[in-house]
Amino acid sequence: MELELSGIVIIVGAYGSGKTEVAINLAVHMNAAGTAVRLADLDLVNPYFRSREARQALRRLGIDVVLPPARYMQADLPILTPEVSGMLRHPSGLTLLDVGGDDVGATVLAALADPMRGKIPQVLQVINPNRPYTDTVRGCLKMRKAIEAKARMTITGIIGNANFMEETTEQDILAGHAFVKHVAEAGNIPLMFITTPAALLTRLDKKDIHCPVLALRRQLVPPWKQADALGASDSKG
Amino acid sequence: MAKVLMKGNEAIGEAAIRAGCLNYFAYPITPQSEVAEYLVRRMPEVGGVFLQGESEVAVGYMIFGAAGAGERVFTTSSSPGISLMSEAISYIAAAQCPAVFVNIMRGGPGLGGILPSQADYLQATKGIGHGDCRLLVMAPASVQEAVEMVMKAFPLAEKYRNPVMILGDGLIGQMMEPVEFPDHLKTEATNKDAWATNGMDHRNSKTRNLVKSLFLDPVQLNDNNLVLKAKYDRMRAEEVMSESYHTDCDYKGLIVSYGTMSRVCRTAVDMLKAEGIDVGMVRPPDGFSVSRKGRCRGSDEAVVHPCAEHRDEHGPDGRGC
Repeated sequence: MELELSGIVIIVGAYGSGKTEVAINLAVHMNAAGTAVRLADLDLVNPYFRSREARQALRRLGIDVVLPPARYMQADLPILTPEVSGMLRHPSGLTLLDVGGDDVGATVLAALADPMRGKIPQVLQVINPNRPYTDTVRGCLKMRKAIEAKARMTITGIIGNANFMEETTEQDILAGHAFVKHVAEAGNIPLMFITTPAALLTRLDKKDIHCPVLALRRQLVPPWKQADALGASDSKG
Repeated sequence: MAKVLMKGNEAIGEAAIRAGCLNYFAYPITPQSEVAEYLVRRMPEVGGVFLQGESEVAVGYMIFGAAGAGERVFTTSSSPGISLMSEAISYIAAAQCPAVFVNIMRGGPGLGGILPSQADYLQATKGIGHGDCRLLVMAPASVQEAVEMVMKAFPLAEKYRNPVMILGDGLIGQMMEPVEFPDHLKTEATNKDAWATNGMDHRNSKTRNLVKSLFLDPVQLNDNNLVLKAKYDRMRAEEVMSESYHTDCDYKGLIVSYGTMSRVCRTAVDMLKAEGIDVGMVRPPDGFSVSRKGRCRGSDEAVVHPCAEHRDEHGPDGRGC
Protein backbone atom coordinates (compact mmCIF):
# COMPACT_ATOMS: atom_id res chain seq x y z
CA MET A 1 0.00 0.00 0.00
CA GLU A 2 1.61 3.24 -1.16
CA LEU A 3 1.93 6.23 1.08
CA GLU A 4 0.63 9.30 -0.76
CA LEU A 5 0.42 12.72 0.84
CA SER A 6 0.32 16.18 -0.64
CA GLY A 7 -0.87 19.68 0.13
CA ILE A 8 -0.41 21.07 3.63
CA VAL A 9 0.35 18.35 6.15
CA ILE A 10 0.77 19.34 9.79
CA ILE A 11 2.46 16.91 12.16
CA VAL A 12 1.32 17.28 15.77
CA GLY A 13 1.35 15.01 18.80
CA ALA A 14 2.39 14.53 22.39
CA TYR A 15 5.77 15.66 23.51
CA GLY A 16 8.34 13.01 22.55
CA SER A 17 5.94 11.05 20.33
CA GLY A 18 8.41 11.15 17.44
CA LYS A 19 6.93 13.94 15.31
CA THR A 20 10.29 15.15 14.07
CA GLU A 21 11.65 11.75 13.02
CA VAL A 22 8.33 11.09 11.28
CA ALA A 23 8.36 14.49 9.53
CA ILE A 24 11.97 14.10 8.36
CA ASN A 25 11.46 10.58 7.07
CA LEU A 26 8.13 11.45 5.46
CA ALA A 27 9.81 14.37 3.69
CA VAL A 28 12.57 12.08 2.42
CA HIS A 29 10.11 9.43 1.29
CA MET A 30 7.83 11.81 -0.63
CA ASN A 31 10.83 13.60 -2.11
CA ALA A 32 12.16 10.26 -3.40
CA ALA A 33 8.73 9.54 -4.86
CA GLY A 34 9.02 12.70 -6.96
CA THR A 35 6.97 15.16 -4.89
CA ALA A 36 8.47 18.60 -4.20
CA VAL A 37 8.74 18.87 -0.40
CA ARG A 38 9.09 21.89 1.86
CA LEU A 39 9.55 21.18 5.56
CA ALA A 40 9.20 23.88 8.21
CA ASP A 41 10.60 23.34 11.71
CA LEU A 42 7.89 24.89 13.87
CA ASP A 43 9.11 23.52 17.19
CA LEU A 44 9.16 26.73 19.16
CA VAL A 45 9.03 25.13 22.60
CA ASN A 46 11.99 22.79 22.92
CA PRO A 47 15.55 23.56 21.84
CA TYR A 48 16.77 19.94 21.58
CA PHE A 49 16.33 17.26 18.91
CA ARG A 50 14.55 19.45 16.35
CA SER A 51 14.31 18.88 12.60
CA ARG A 52 16.76 21.75 12.04
CA GLU A 53 19.48 19.33 13.22
CA ALA A 54 18.91 17.28 10.05
CA ARG A 55 18.83 20.30 7.74
CA GLN A 56 22.08 19.51 5.97
CA ALA A 57 21.10 15.91 5.18
CA LEU A 58 17.68 17.10 3.98
CA ARG A 59 19.02 19.92 1.85
CA ARG A 60 21.50 17.54 0.21
CA LEU A 61 18.50 15.56 -1.01
CA GLY A 62 16.91 18.70 -2.44
CA ILE A 63 14.33 19.16 0.33
CA ASP A 64 13.58 22.77 1.16
CA VAL A 65 13.91 23.28 4.94
CA VAL A 66 12.38 26.46 6.39
CA LEU A 67 14.15 27.57 9.56
CA PRO A 68 14.66 30.65 11.73
CA PRO A 69 17.65 32.86 10.79
CA ALA A 70 20.98 31.09 11.44
CA ARG A 71 22.02 33.32 14.33
CA TYR A 72 18.90 32.38 16.30
CA MET A 73 19.07 28.68 15.42
CA GLN A 74 20.22 27.55 18.88
CA ALA A 75 18.00 29.90 20.85
CA ASP A 76 15.00 28.78 22.82
CA LEU A 77 13.03 31.73 21.52
CA PRO A 78 9.59 31.42 19.91
CA ILE A 79 10.66 32.65 16.47
CA LEU A 80 8.10 32.21 13.73
CA THR A 81 9.70 33.20 10.46
CA PRO A 82 7.49 35.00 7.87
CA GLU A 83 8.60 32.43 5.31
CA VAL A 84 6.23 29.95 6.97
CA SER A 85 3.22 32.15 6.18
CA GLY A 86 4.46 32.41 2.60
CA MET A 87 4.74 28.68 2.13
CA LEU A 88 1.25 28.19 3.53
CA ARG A 89 -0.27 30.86 1.27
CA HIS A 90 1.28 29.21 -1.78
CA PRO A 91 1.62 25.53 -1.01
CA SER A 92 3.05 23.24 -3.67
CA GLY A 93 3.80 19.53 -3.64
CA LEU A 94 3.99 18.54 0.00
CA THR A 95 4.12 21.40 2.49
CA LEU A 96 5.07 19.81 5.79
CA LEU A 97 4.95 21.49 9.21
CA ASP A 98 6.82 19.83 12.09
CA VAL A 99 5.13 21.30 15.16
CA GLY A 100 6.26 21.26 18.83
CA GLY A 101 4.94 18.82 21.39
CA ASP A 102 1.66 18.69 23.31
CA ASP A 103 -0.96 21.43 23.22
CA VAL A 104 1.71 23.96 24.19
CA GLY A 105 3.72 23.21 21.06
CA ALA A 106 0.59 23.31 18.88
CA THR A 107 -0.34 26.82 20.03
CA VAL A 108 1.74 28.27 17.19
CA LEU A 109 -0.77 26.90 14.67
CA ALA A 110 -3.47 29.31 15.85
CA ALA A 111 -1.16 32.13 14.76
CA LEU A 112 -1.11 30.68 11.24
CA ALA A 113 -4.89 30.71 10.78
CA ASP A 114 -4.75 33.67 8.40
CA PRO A 115 -2.34 32.25 5.78
CA MET A 116 -4.22 28.94 5.97
CA ARG A 117 -7.63 30.52 5.39
CA GLY A 118 -9.46 28.65 2.62
CA LYS A 119 -6.95 25.80 2.64
CA ILE A 120 -7.75 22.33 3.93
CA PRO A 121 -4.68 21.09 5.75
CA GLN A 122 -4.29 17.53 6.95
CA VAL A 123 -3.47 17.57 10.65
CA LEU A 124 -1.94 14.28 11.73
CA GLN A 125 -1.42 13.17 15.32
CA VAL A 126 1.68 11.06 15.94
CA ILE A 127 1.20 8.44 18.66
CA ASN A 128 3.74 6.30 20.45
CA PRO A 129 1.85 4.14 22.96
CA ASN A 130 5.10 3.44 24.83
CA ARG A 131 5.22 7.01 26.09
CA PRO A 132 3.65 8.24 29.34
CA TYR A 133 0.13 9.69 28.99
CA THR A 134 -0.49 8.29 25.48
CA ASP A 135 -0.43 4.66 26.58
CA THR A 136 -4.25 4.43 26.65
CA VAL A 137 -6.88 5.21 24.00
CA ARG A 138 -8.36 7.69 26.44
CA GLY A 139 -5.04 9.40 26.91
CA CYS A 140 -4.58 9.77 23.13
CA LEU A 141 -8.07 11.23 22.70
CA LYS A 142 -7.46 13.64 25.56
CA MET A 143 -4.20 14.75 23.94
CA ARG A 144 -6.04 15.19 20.65
CA LYS A 145 -8.65 17.44 22.26
CA ALA A 146 -6.03 19.53 24.02
CA ILE A 147 -4.05 20.02 20.80
CA GLU A 148 -7.16 20.86 18.79
CA ALA A 149 -8.23 23.46 21.34
CA LYS A 150 -4.88 25.27 21.30
CA ALA A 151 -4.24 24.87 17.56
CA ARG A 152 -7.83 25.80 16.68
CA MET A 153 -7.72 23.03 14.12
CA THR A 154 -9.23 19.59 13.79
CA ILE A 155 -6.98 16.56 13.74
CA THR A 156 -7.78 14.61 10.59
CA GLY A 157 -5.71 11.46 10.92
CA ILE A 158 -3.44 9.29 13.05
CA ILE A 159 0.18 8.22 12.53
CA GLY A 160 1.25 5.15 14.51
CA ASN A 161 4.84 5.50 15.71
CA ALA A 162 5.18 2.74 18.30
CA ASN A 163 8.83 2.37 19.23
CA PHE A 164 11.45 1.95 21.93
CA MET A 165 14.09 3.70 19.81
CA GLU A 166 16.75 1.15 18.80
CA GLU A 167 15.28 -1.48 21.12
CA THR A 168 12.09 -1.66 19.01
CA THR A 169 11.00 -5.18 18.10
CA GLU A 170 8.62 -6.50 15.46
CA GLN A 171 6.19 -7.29 18.29
CA ASP A 172 6.27 -3.64 19.41
CA ILE A 173 5.29 -2.56 15.88
CA LEU A 174 2.42 -5.03 15.66
CA ALA A 175 1.09 -4.23 19.15
CA GLY A 176 1.44 -0.52 18.39
CA HIS A 177 -0.47 -0.94 15.14
CA ALA A 178 -3.35 -2.68 16.93
CA PHE A 179 -3.37 0.12 19.50
CA VAL A 180 -3.47 3.04 17.06
CA LYS A 181 -6.18 1.27 15.07
CA HIS A 182 -8.32 1.41 18.22
CA VAL A 183 -7.48 5.08 18.70
CA ALA A 184 -8.44 5.88 15.10
CA GLU A 185 -11.72 3.98 15.42
CA ALA A 186 -12.55 5.58 18.77
CA GLY A 187 -11.80 9.03 17.34
CA ASN A 188 -13.54 8.28 14.04
CA ILE A 189 -10.60 9.39 11.91
CA PRO A 190 -8.38 7.39 9.56
CA LEU A 191 -5.11 5.70 10.46
CA MET A 192 -2.89 7.28 7.79
CA PHE A 193 0.19 5.14 8.20
CA ILE A 194 2.44 3.49 10.76
CA THR A 195 6.22 3.54 11.02
CA THR A 196 8.87 0.93 11.52
CA PRO A 197 12.63 1.15 11.88
CA ALA A 198 13.98 0.57 8.35
CA ALA A 199 15.93 -2.46 9.58
CA LEU A 200 12.69 -4.23 10.57
CA LEU A 201 10.72 -3.44 7.38
CA THR A 202 11.39 -6.63 5.47
CA ARG A 203 10.95 -8.89 8.51
CA LEU A 204 7.64 -7.31 9.53
CA ASP A 205 4.59 -9.57 9.13
CA LYS A 206 2.22 -7.20 7.33
CA LYS A 207 -0.75 -9.51 6.82
CA ASP A 208 -2.86 -7.68 9.44
CA ILE A 209 -1.58 -4.21 8.57
CA HIS A 210 -3.96 -2.49 6.19
CA CYS A 211 -2.28 0.89 6.02
CA PRO A 212 0.99 2.13 4.53
CA VAL A 213 4.21 1.57 6.51
CA LEU A 214 6.88 4.27 6.51
CA ALA A 215 10.45 3.07 7.10
CA LEU A 216 12.23 5.30 9.62
CA ARG A 217 15.93 6.04 9.49
CA ARG A 218 16.78 7.74 12.74
CA GLN A 219 18.31 11.19 12.24
CA LEU A 220 18.28 12.83 15.65
CA VAL A 221 20.89 10.85 17.49
CA PRO A 222 23.17 11.67 20.42
CA PRO A 223 26.79 12.44 19.48
CA TRP A 224 28.06 8.91 20.14
CA LYS A 225 25.83 7.46 17.44
CA GLN A 226 25.69 7.85 13.69
CA ALA A 227 22.46 8.87 12.02
CA ASP A 228 21.12 6.26 9.58
CA ALA A 229 21.89 7.05 5.92
CA LEU A 230 19.00 8.89 4.29
CA GLY A 231 17.84 8.74 0.72
CA ALA A 232 17.21 5.08 -0.11
CA SER A 233 13.60 4.55 -0.95
CA ASP A 234 12.19 1.41 0.62
CA SER A 235 8.49 1.86 0.81
CA LYS A 236 5.84 -0.03 1.85
CA GLY A 237 3.97 -3.11 2.66
CA MET B 1 6.73 -2.22 35.84
CA ALA B 2 6.92 -2.55 32.07
CA LYS B 3 9.49 -0.75 30.01
CA VAL B 4 8.54 2.76 28.99
CA LEU B 5 10.16 5.23 26.62
CA MET B 6 11.02 8.40 28.52
CA LYS B 7 13.00 11.58 28.24
CA GLY B 8 15.67 11.78 30.91
CA ASN B 9 13.93 14.74 32.52
CA GLU B 10 10.63 12.89 32.77
CA ALA B 11 12.34 9.74 34.03
CA ILE B 12 14.16 11.71 36.75
CA GLY B 13 10.82 13.08 37.97
CA GLU B 14 9.19 9.66 37.96
CA ALA B 15 12.21 8.07 39.66
CA ALA B 16 11.94 10.50 42.57
CA ILE B 17 8.27 9.55 43.04
CA ARG B 18 9.10 5.85 42.83
CA ALA B 19 11.79 6.42 45.46
CA GLY B 20 9.13 7.78 47.79
CA CYS B 21 9.79 11.50 47.38
CA LEU B 22 6.56 13.50 47.14
CA ASN B 23 8.00 16.99 47.49
CA TYR B 24 9.42 18.81 44.49
CA PHE B 25 10.23 22.53 44.49
CA ALA B 26 11.79 24.09 41.41
CA TYR B 27 12.22 27.04 39.11
CA PRO B 28 12.24 26.54 35.31
CA ILE B 29 15.43 26.70 33.25
CA THR B 30 16.44 25.07 29.96
CA PRO B 31 17.37 22.23 29.54
CA GLN B 32 15.63 20.72 32.59
CA SER B 33 12.18 22.36 32.57
CA GLU B 34 10.53 19.09 31.50
CA VAL B 35 11.07 17.73 35.01
CA ALA B 36 8.69 20.40 36.29
CA GLU B 37 6.36 19.95 33.31
CA TYR B 38 6.17 16.24 34.05
CA LEU B 39 5.76 16.60 37.80
CA VAL B 40 3.16 19.37 37.67
CA ARG B 41 0.94 16.75 36.09
CA ARG B 42 2.23 13.70 37.95
CA MET B 43 2.61 14.90 41.57
CA PRO B 44 -1.15 15.53 42.10
CA GLU B 45 -1.85 12.00 40.83
CA VAL B 46 0.21 10.51 43.66
CA GLY B 47 -0.71 12.99 46.39
CA GLY B 48 2.57 14.85 46.12
CA VAL B 49 3.45 18.53 45.96
CA PHE B 50 5.06 20.57 43.23
CA LEU B 51 5.64 24.15 44.19
CA GLN B 52 7.40 26.63 41.93
CA GLY B 53 9.56 29.11 43.80
CA GLU B 54 10.04 32.71 42.72
CA SER B 55 13.73 32.05 42.07
CA GLU B 56 16.37 29.37 42.52
CA VAL B 57 17.52 31.13 45.68
CA ALA B 58 14.04 30.70 47.14
CA VAL B 59 13.87 27.10 45.97
CA GLY B 60 17.16 26.31 47.72
CA TYR B 61 15.70 27.43 51.05
CA MET B 62 12.36 25.70 50.40
CA ILE B 63 14.40 22.52 50.07
CA PHE B 64 16.22 23.35 53.31
CA GLY B 65 12.90 23.84 55.10
CA ALA B 66 11.36 20.59 53.95
CA ALA B 67 14.59 18.66 54.55
CA GLY B 68 14.84 20.07 58.06
CA ALA B 69 11.30 18.87 58.72
CA GLY B 70 12.37 15.34 57.76
CA GLU B 71 10.58 15.19 54.42
CA ARG B 72 12.08 13.60 51.35
CA VAL B 73 12.54 16.52 48.99
CA PHE B 74 14.34 17.27 45.76
CA THR B 75 14.84 19.91 43.13
CA THR B 76 16.20 20.08 39.63
CA SER B 77 17.90 22.95 37.87
CA SER B 78 20.61 23.71 35.37
CA SER B 79 24.05 25.27 35.83
CA PRO B 80 23.27 28.95 36.54
CA GLY B 81 20.31 27.92 38.69
CA ILE B 82 22.47 25.53 40.69
CA SER B 83 24.94 28.37 41.31
CA LEU B 84 22.07 30.37 42.80
CA MET B 85 21.14 27.42 45.02
CA SER B 86 24.70 26.88 46.20
CA GLU B 87 24.29 29.15 49.23
CA ALA B 88 21.39 27.05 50.49
CA ILE B 89 23.29 23.85 49.70
CA SER B 90 26.06 25.02 52.02
CA TYR B 91 23.50 25.73 54.78
CA ILE B 92 21.90 22.31 54.27
CA ALA B 93 25.28 20.56 54.43
CA ALA B 94 26.23 22.51 57.57
CA ALA B 95 22.92 21.67 59.26
CA GLN B 96 23.29 18.03 58.14
CA CYS B 97 19.97 17.64 56.39
CA PRO B 98 19.30 15.19 53.56
CA ALA B 99 18.19 16.55 50.18
CA VAL B 100 18.65 15.70 46.52
CA PHE B 101 19.72 18.21 43.87
CA VAL B 102 19.73 17.37 40.17
CA ASN B 103 21.89 19.51 37.89
CA ILE B 104 21.09 19.08 34.18
CA MET B 105 24.14 21.00 33.04
CA ARG B 106 24.27 23.48 30.17
CA GLY B 107 27.18 25.41 28.71
CA GLY B 108 28.84 28.15 30.75
CA PRO B 109 30.31 30.22 32.28
CA GLY B 110 27.73 32.88 32.93
CA LEU B 111 24.41 32.37 31.19
CA GLY B 112 26.39 30.36 28.66
CA GLY B 113 24.11 28.50 26.30
CA ILE B 114 21.32 25.98 26.42
CA LEU B 115 23.08 23.06 24.79
CA PRO B 116 24.61 20.22 26.83
CA SER B 117 27.89 20.59 28.66
CA GLN B 118 29.60 18.86 31.57
CA ALA B 119 31.50 21.89 32.80
CA ASP B 120 30.14 21.93 36.38
CA TYR B 121 32.33 19.03 37.41
CA LEU B 122 34.56 21.08 39.68
CA GLN B 123 31.64 22.95 41.19
CA ALA B 124 29.88 19.71 42.05
CA THR B 125 32.77 17.61 43.28
CA LYS B 126 35.20 20.04 44.87
CA GLY B 127 32.89 22.00 47.13
CA ILE B 128 29.86 23.80 45.82
CA GLY B 129 28.89 26.43 48.34
CA HIS B 130 31.00 28.43 50.76
CA GLY B 131 32.86 26.79 53.63
CA ASP B 132 34.01 23.23 53.81
CA CYS B 133 30.98 21.57 52.34
CA ARG B 134 30.97 18.60 50.00
CA LEU B 135 28.29 16.77 48.10
CA LEU B 136 27.91 13.12 47.33
CA VAL B 137 27.82 13.21 43.52
CA MET B 138 26.58 10.66 41.00
CA ALA B 139 26.91 11.24 37.26
CA PRO B 140 24.69 9.10 35.02
CA ALA B 141 25.62 8.16 31.46
CA SER B 142 22.18 6.87 30.45
CA VAL B 143 18.55 7.54 31.27
CA GLN B 144 18.33 4.17 33.07
CA GLU B 145 21.33 5.10 35.19
CA ALA B 146 19.75 8.46 35.95
CA VAL B 147 16.64 6.65 37.20
CA GLU B 148 18.61 4.33 39.45
CA MET B 149 20.88 7.06 40.78
CA VAL B 150 17.91 9.28 41.65
CA MET B 151 16.24 6.37 43.45
CA LYS B 152 19.45 5.62 45.38
CA ALA B 153 20.09 9.28 46.12
CA PHE B 154 17.35 9.61 48.75
CA PRO B 155 18.52 6.82 51.09
CA LEU B 156 22.12 7.96 50.57
CA ALA B 157 21.22 11.53 51.51
CA GLU B 158 19.59 10.15 54.65
CA LYS B 159 22.45 7.78 55.44
CA TYR B 160 24.93 10.67 55.47
CA ARG B 161 22.46 13.46 56.31
CA ASN B 162 24.01 15.39 53.47
CA PRO B 163 22.90 16.82 50.11
CA VAL B 164 23.35 14.43 47.18
CA MET B 165 23.76 15.72 43.65
CA ILE B 166 22.88 13.96 40.42
CA LEU B 167 25.13 15.50 37.79
CA GLY B 168 23.67 15.03 34.32
CA ASP B 169 23.83 17.20 31.23
CA GLY B 170 21.31 18.48 28.69
CA LEU B 171 21.64 15.25 26.75
CA ILE B 172 20.68 13.09 29.72
CA GLY B 173 17.73 15.41 30.31
CA GLN B 174 16.51 15.61 26.73
CA MET B 175 17.28 12.26 25.14
CA MET B 176 14.79 9.43 25.18
CA GLU B 177 15.69 5.88 26.15
CA PRO B 178 13.62 2.92 27.30
CA VAL B 179 13.63 2.70 31.10
CA GLU B 180 12.35 0.60 33.96
CA PHE B 181 11.89 1.62 37.59
CA PRO B 182 13.28 -1.17 39.79
CA ASP B 183 10.92 -1.88 42.68
CA HIS B 184 13.79 -2.91 44.95
CA LEU B 185 15.10 0.66 44.90
CA LYS B 186 11.98 1.98 46.62
CA THR B 187 12.94 2.82 50.19
CA GLU B 188 11.53 4.52 53.24
CA ALA B 189 13.23 7.12 55.37
CA THR B 190 14.45 5.73 58.68
CA ASN B 191 15.73 7.19 61.90
CA LYS B 192 14.76 10.76 61.11
CA ASP B 193 13.38 11.36 64.60
CA ALA B 194 16.96 11.76 65.79
CA TRP B 195 17.33 15.04 63.94
CA ALA B 196 14.17 16.14 62.07
CA THR B 197 12.13 19.06 63.40
CA ASN B 198 8.84 17.28 62.87
CA GLY B 199 7.21 17.74 66.27
CA MET B 200 7.84 16.01 69.60
CA ASP B 201 4.45 14.42 70.19
CA HIS B 202 5.27 11.08 68.64
CA ARG B 203 8.87 10.85 69.77
CA ASN B 204 10.16 8.77 72.66
CA SER B 205 13.13 11.04 73.11
CA LYS B 206 12.39 14.40 74.69
CA THR B 207 15.54 15.96 73.28
CA ARG B 208 14.86 19.00 71.17
CA ASN B 209 15.97 18.76 67.54
CA LEU B 210 17.43 21.92 66.11
CA VAL B 211 18.28 22.61 62.47
CA LYS B 212 20.96 25.28 62.27
CA SER B 213 24.14 26.23 60.49
CA LEU B 214 25.26 29.09 62.75
CA PHE B 215 28.03 28.23 65.25
CA LEU B 216 29.27 31.48 66.76
CA ASP B 217 31.54 29.70 69.21
CA PRO B 218 34.67 28.91 67.18
CA VAL B 219 35.23 25.67 69.07
CA GLN B 220 31.72 24.50 68.23
CA LEU B 221 32.21 25.53 64.60
CA ASN B 222 35.46 23.62 64.48
CA ASP B 223 33.80 20.58 66.04
CA ASN B 224 31.03 20.71 63.44
CA ASN B 225 33.58 20.90 60.65
CA LEU B 226 35.42 17.89 62.04
CA VAL B 227 32.14 15.94 62.11
CA LEU B 228 31.50 16.93 58.50
CA LYS B 229 35.06 16.08 57.47
CA ALA B 230 34.77 12.58 58.97
CA LYS B 231 31.49 12.15 57.12
CA TYR B 232 32.95 13.25 53.78
CA ASP B 233 35.84 10.83 54.24
CA ARG B 234 33.35 8.03 54.91
CA MET B 235 31.37 8.96 51.78
CA ARG B 236 34.53 8.79 49.70
CA ALA B 237 35.52 5.45 51.19
CA GLU B 238 32.13 3.76 51.07
CA GLU B 239 30.40 5.11 47.99
CA VAL B 240 33.03 4.83 45.29
CA MET B 241 31.79 3.55 41.96
CA SER B 242 33.87 2.87 38.94
CA GLU B 243 33.50 1.41 35.51
CA SER B 244 36.21 0.44 33.10
CA TYR B 245 35.99 -0.32 29.41
CA HIS B 246 38.54 -2.15 27.30
CA THR B 247 41.18 -2.02 30.05
CA ASP B 248 41.87 -5.78 30.12
CA CYS B 249 44.52 -5.38 27.44
CA ASP B 250 47.89 -3.78 26.93
CA TYR B 251 46.36 -0.41 26.21
CA LYS B 252 48.42 2.44 24.76
CA GLY B 253 46.34 5.15 26.35
CA LEU B 254 43.62 5.53 28.90
CA ILE B 255 40.72 7.94 28.69
CA VAL B 256 39.12 9.16 31.91
CA SER B 257 35.65 10.42 31.24
CA TYR B 258 32.27 10.81 32.90
CA GLY B 259 28.60 11.29 32.08
CA THR B 260 27.44 11.34 28.47
CA MET B 261 31.00 12.09 27.33
CA SER B 262 31.92 8.58 28.46
CA ARG B 263 29.55 7.25 25.79
CA VAL B 264 31.29 9.36 23.17
CA CYS B 265 34.59 8.00 24.46
CA ARG B 266 33.32 4.39 24.31
CA THR B 267 32.52 4.92 20.64
CA ALA B 268 36.01 6.38 20.16
CA VAL B 269 37.56 3.35 21.94
CA ASP B 270 35.61 1.02 19.61
CA MET B 271 36.68 2.98 16.52
CA LEU B 272 40.33 2.93 17.60
CA LYS B 273 40.11 -0.77 18.38
CA ALA B 274 38.82 -1.40 14.85
CA GLU B 275 41.97 0.33 13.60
CA GLY B 276 44.14 -1.90 15.79
CA ILE B 277 44.86 0.70 18.46
CA ASP B 278 44.07 -0.33 22.06
CA VAL B 279 42.85 2.51 24.23
CA GLY B 280 40.96 1.92 27.49
CA MET B 281 38.46 4.05 29.31
CA VAL B 282 37.65 4.47 32.98
CA ARG B 283 34.62 6.26 34.30
CA PRO B 284 33.92 7.33 37.83
CA PRO B 285 30.12 7.58 38.01
CA ASP B 286 30.47 8.86 41.58
CA GLY B 287 32.32 11.95 40.42
CA PHE B 288 34.91 11.67 43.19
CA SER B 289 37.47 9.42 41.66
CA VAL B 290 39.04 11.28 38.77
CA SER B 291 41.69 12.96 40.84
CA ARG B 292 42.10 10.00 43.20
CA LYS B 293 44.61 7.69 41.63
CA GLY B 294 43.92 4.03 42.13
CA ARG B 295 40.18 4.32 42.56
CA CYS B 296 39.48 3.41 38.98
CA ARG B 297 40.93 0.16 37.79
CA GLY B 298 43.91 0.87 35.59
CA SER B 299 44.26 4.51 36.52
CA ASP B 300 47.30 3.85 38.74
CA GLU B 301 49.45 3.65 35.65
CA ALA B 302 47.77 6.45 33.80
CA VAL B 303 49.11 9.92 33.35
CA VAL B 304 45.99 12.01 33.43
CA HIS B 305 45.86 14.93 31.02
CA PRO B 306 42.95 17.12 32.06
CA CYS B 307 40.92 18.17 29.04
CA ALA B 308 38.22 20.72 28.70
CA GLU B 309 35.38 19.33 26.71
CA HIS B 310 33.96 21.42 23.97
CA ARG B 311 30.92 20.81 21.92
CA ASP B 312 29.64 22.67 18.93
CA GLU B 313 26.92 22.04 16.43
CA HIS B 314 29.20 19.77 14.44
CA GLY B 315 29.49 17.38 17.34
CA PRO B 316 31.74 16.78 20.35
CA ASP B 317 35.36 17.62 20.11
CA GLY B 318 37.84 17.34 22.99
CA ARG B 319 40.37 20.11 23.07
CA GLY B 320 43.30 19.99 25.44
CA CYS B 321 43.94 22.82 27.79
